[in-house]
Amino acid sequence: MALNPTEPKWSLRLPADCSIAAIRNVYDLIREAFGRQDRLEIDCSSVDKADVTSIQLLLSTAKTGAAQGRPVVLTSFSQSLRNTLRRAGFASEAMIDQHFPQKKDGT
Amino acid sequence: MSAMDPTEVFRQEASELFEVLEGALLDLGQRPDDRELVDSAFRALHTIKGSGAMFGFDKVASFTHEFETAFDRVRKGEIKPTQELISVALAAKDYIRALIEEPQTTDDIIGEGILDDLKRFVSSDQPASPVAEITEAPSLAPGERKQAGWHLHLEFESHILRNGSNPLDLLEDLCKLGPCFVVPITDGVPFLDEMEPEDCYLKWDVKLHAACDKDAIDDVFMFVQDEMKLTLSPLEHVEAPPAPLFQLLDEEPVPAAMVEMPAPAVEVAPALVVEEPAPKSEIKREAPPVVRREEAKREERGIATVRVQAERLDELMDRVGELVIAQARLTQLASAGSDLSIKMIAEEIERLASSLRDTTMGARMVPIGSLFGRFRRLVHDLSRDLSKPVEFVTSGEDTELDKTMIECLADPLVHLIRNAIDHGIEDSATRAANGKTEQGRIELAAVHSGAQVLVTVKDNGGGLNTARIRAKAEEQGLIAAGAAHSDHEVHQFLFHPGFSTAQTISALSGRGVGMDVVKRTIENMRGSIDLSTQPGQGTTVTLRLPLTLAIIEGLLIRVGEGRYIIPLSAVEECVELTAEDERSRGRNFLNVRGNLVPFLRLRELMTASGRPDKHQKTIIISTGETRVGLVADQIIGNHQTVIKSLSKLHSDVTIFSGATILGDGTAALILDVAQLVAMAQSKVEKHHISEAA
Repeated sequence: MALNPTEPKWSLRLPADCSIAAIRNVYDLIREAFGRQDRLEIDCSSVDKADVTSIQLLLSTAKTGAAQGRPVVLTSFSQSLRNTLRRAGFASEAMIDQHFPQKKDGT
Repeated sequence: MSAMDPTEVFRQEASELFEVLEGALLDLGQRPDDRELVDSAFRALHTIKGSGAMFGFDKVASFTHEFETAFDRVRKGEIKPTQELISVALAAKDYIRALIEEPQTTDDIIGEGILDDLKRFVSSDQPASPVAEITEAPSLAPGERKQAGWHLHLEFESHILRNGSNPLDLLEDLCKLGPCFVVPITDGVPFLDEMEPEDCYLKWDVKLHAACDKDAIDDVFMFVQDEMKLTLSPLEHVEAPPAPLFQLLDEEPVPAAMVEMPAPAVEVAPALVVEEPAPKSEIKREAPPVVRREEAKREERGIATVRVQAERLDELMDRVGELVIAQARLTQLASAGSDLSIKMIAEEIERLASSLRDTTMGARMVPIGSLFGRFRRLVHDLSRDLSKPVEFVTSGEDTELDKTMIECLADPLVHLIRNAIDHGIEDSATRAANGKTEQGRIELAAVHSGAQVLVTVKDNGGGLNTARIRAKAEEQGLIAAGAAHSDHEVHQFLFHPGFSTAQTISALSGRGVGMDVVKRTIENMRGSIDLSTQPGQGTTVTLRLPLTLAIIEGLLIRVGEGRYIIPLSAVEECVELTAEDERSRGRNFLNVRGNLVPFLRLRELMTASGRPDKHQKTIIISTGETRVGLVADQIIGNHQTVIKSLSKLHSDVTIFSGATILGDGTAALILDVAQLVAMAQSKVEKHHISEAA
């Protein structure tokens, strides 16, 4: 998994495994992407293994982006990621929107 | 530096958890009503399961899960943990250990058999433990407000995810108790640069709208209660329970409006509203929040620990040893010269080397409790196999010893405990006939005594049969028939190779192999062993051990041209050999304040050349209660002694336990105190026999 060459150069597709077993790699990747770009779009469509660490990493990425004035948007949440968010208490779209800056389809 | 293999880290952690699990199961055999023990066993099992799954030990995770499920009736307090059940649970623990450490030796059929046994035992209807019975909630007084649920604040230790625990599973379990309103608290999530991605930063506030017992909530968090802060306070007075605000995954998604909607009819307990002071009338009703986790444990976790491979500690100790030797050479050179600044630097380096030595030795110290824990299983199994109920009591588990010493001590202690149960403790009928309790008792204790650690194995059995030992010694020609020997001297024959008074040979003992090996092992560790017994009351075996095997404080002496080291821990005092003592040549006894102490002339022993010094010195050494004098030409002084093993070529030379390098680069031999004392005692015995003749 790396920056997606077929997507705009600021887009990053998360790997299938974003659980604690692989979260360090995902973390390094996001930091690397952050170091290179002013804005970041994270594609979450391939995530099929997520847990508390994945949620925290996305929250931290959004928080860091907001603090540095560098836009971060998350796109295409997979069903697996949505389930994990719901289990963690991010039970509604409104709540997810509040914590995770999402780019909805067509927007 | 190479990173440790994660599976190896799991194996090490699992090994510690097995000790906890085994300890809890064994304690449960003694105290079947102790819920804390059941919880402790379950926590260990749960962590093994979680971590096993995380590190790819799927068989471990699957078997442990089955084990947990089968044992669940015990956890719920529905059945009592009987001895049979504990034995099967211990077998299950052994099987999990084998799955982790030696998977090639395991067989699924064995695992299935153990699980079948476990299920069979837990499915039999046994009376529930009275403590574990569910108590009914007290009825409410008229006018008292009804509790409508609980407010929970969940805060986990940062490392909890690394242990394989999953807070989301816990939230799900919680929501099985009733409708839950879960709010994640994201304030603690740091910026990317400050983040450790495997740490847990999220916290949760949960409103549980169910009038369930607090124990039910405790059960949800029982596996992680030491790794979290759980604040509980009751919710009171609800007019209408809100719709479920948190749902399981297989249920329909929660509509957004419901989640966002506050629950207006719910009066939140004042403890929740930290910022807004509650009215006084409410404060009186307020139940104190239950904070689960003792302060002590919090502090305990505050101490950072690092796992280090044992070989690295050994390497570090070797380097420190070399440094100490080099420092001794520097000190000697500096003192021979007249350069004041070199002398000052030498003194500074001496101070630093000494401090580094102490720190390094401290890092190698391990609490002896890690060793003691192993014997509980041994006692449990022997007690069952020999049908002798035995209570096993340990004390001084915090006493620290060098890790090498701990490893060396395991086998001798196994021998001593086996002997104590097999020979020492009488069978129940004999004990009852002698007016003793049916259950025997074995105490294993450790205590610091100066630069030594005393480890004692004490039983309350029948004591040693001195007459039988004497008869056996006479039969084997070790002593002349009817020769005068104190009981203490007679008991020492138990340490002779091949000496056994057991009338039958069992799988455990009776072949006369064991006590001599124990003695040799302890003496190889520069320790000593002592026996004391009281007929009908029991026997105590005391092991005296130095704190470390690597570097010791020694007394440097000169005999002729050679220099030798005596371990300072064995030295009692130094006295001058008087002319009167000199005249006693042939008798070799020294009068020390009215007590006769046998002495050995080291010049004779070492066949030293040249004339002896005019004023010879005697160093009084002791092992246990036995004192012996060693006559030397000169006492040079204290010496930090880095112990080097003797080559195999010198393995037959018994009076030396090792060698060291002195400041001038020459070698000095370290005297083996135990051997010298034994040699002096043997001379005394010969003297007695010749006098009697």
